[in-house]
Amino acid sequence: MAPPSDTSQPRLAVGCRWGGSGENRVILFPEGKINLQGTGLQVLERCDGRRTFSEIISGLQKEFGTTDPAKIRSDIGVFLEQLQRKRIVDY
Amino acid sequence: MLSNPLALIAEVTHRCPLHCVYCSNPLELAGTKEELSTDEWTSVFEQCGKLGMLHAHFTGGEPLARPDLAELISAARSAGLYTNLITSGLGLNEPRLEALVSAGLDHIQISFQDSREEAANWIAGAKAHAHKIALSRAIRGHKIAFTVNLVVHRQNLDHLEEMIAFIEQLNPERVEIAHTQYYGWALANRAALMPTHGQVEKAVAIVAEAEKRLAGRIRIDSVVPDYYAKYPKPCMGGWGRRLMLINPAGKVLPCHAAEVLPGLTFENVREKTLEWIWQESSSFGRFRGQDWMPEPCRSCDRRGEDFGGCRCQAFLLAGDALLTDPACSLAPSHGIVESAVRDANSGAAIARPAASSSFVQLQKQTGELWSYRTNPE
Repeated sequence: MAPPSDTSQPRLAVGCRWGGSGENRVILFPEGKINLQGTGLQVLERCDGRRTFSEIISGLQKEFGTTDPAKIRSDIGVFLEQLQRKRIVDY
Repeated sequence: MLSNPLALIAEVTHRCPLHCVYCSNPLELAGTKEELSTDEWTSVFEQCGKLGMLHAHFTGGEPLARPDLAELISAARSAGLYTNLITSGLGLNEPRLEALVSAGLDHIQISFQDSREEAANWIAGAKAHAHKIALSRAIRGHKIAFTVNLVVHRQNLDHLEEMIAFIEQLNPERVEIAHTQYYGWALANRAALMPTHGQVEKAVAIVAEAEKRLAGRIRIDSVVPDYYAKYPKPCMGGWGRRLMLINPAGKVLPCHAAEVLPGLTFENVREKTLEWIWQESSSFGRFRGQDWMPEPCRSCDRRGEDFGGCRCQAFLLAGDALLTDPACSLAPSHGIVESAVRDANSGAAIARPAASSSFVQLQKQTGELWSYRTNPE
């Protein structure tokens, strides 16, 4: 499996959903959860199955201002790939 | 600072249409008349929600034996819990599956006993295999997560590759290759279930290869069985640390086997709140933290990772819940586990499945090999 392509539309995998509340947002999946804060939270909130990977990246690049855009793309790609292997995200 | 529990294991009934020889339910099953009502379970889930718990695992026995299961799932979902159904699939047809999904079911886990119908039905003591296959296909028509739980042991590990290939074509997102753990019936039948060294080693390699091959499509979870591992399992994530189990009669336990432990009084949801039980009860506090730990656990670098292993196993095998789990290679009583492992590798033949016309006949044929799980009153 590879990181998402530009036109892919990342989304939560079937049976996975948001839970928790307020500051303790989590993603719930079979028999588990992941706590989300900061960047991870911002990335996954944008994985709504409609935005493409490239739209998600450019949106976040704008938010993070001057940080290295290529690194942002690569880090987020790796993050989503790891979640895909765990069957928490699809793209 | 004591954290709130993460998940509830809702053992809603001990009734079950199967008789699996590896069942880890307690030998003393809760009777049907004692079962909590729909309203009582609803109140339990509300309390779980208030405690910030995130998961409910519906199990048993066979949770589908509860006619009110859809209402229970709905109550848990309304309380903010992610709902997992751990089931044999018997009692589930398309309309009922649809009703459970509408009620808010998030995830279903179906057990499989083998890839081969005759062998699967022989292990379960019931003609269940064909139904599970049909149900797996029906599940894929719904937007819920699907896990296959393959229970492995001496009697089926020799064809693990075949079983994995069989499961692949059912298209689950996740597969658990669950090495049998020895509690309840599984402990009574341990001699027939313990794998050989060769079987365990091959299984590790086969699972590793399958993980690579299926990466991105199917997630595989598997753990080396603790009798063959160097260190014990972090049972339940630690006593009273992450999980709470409520049995069919409302007894609140830190795990499914804890009733075997002498000297502990377990509370009931009919009498006390979950919050009080979690925070104040002597049973939940008994093996929390590190003060109770014996040596070598007390000075061991791993004590915060595996918590000295399983209390119930220490009691069941070595007679004392305060000992290091004998599965740990550093345990003074490790010889008990070594002896069981030697017996499993002593060359005794692996049995052959045989079809029978009735369950009674099946029990007669296999009386020397193992005991099938019975049903509660």
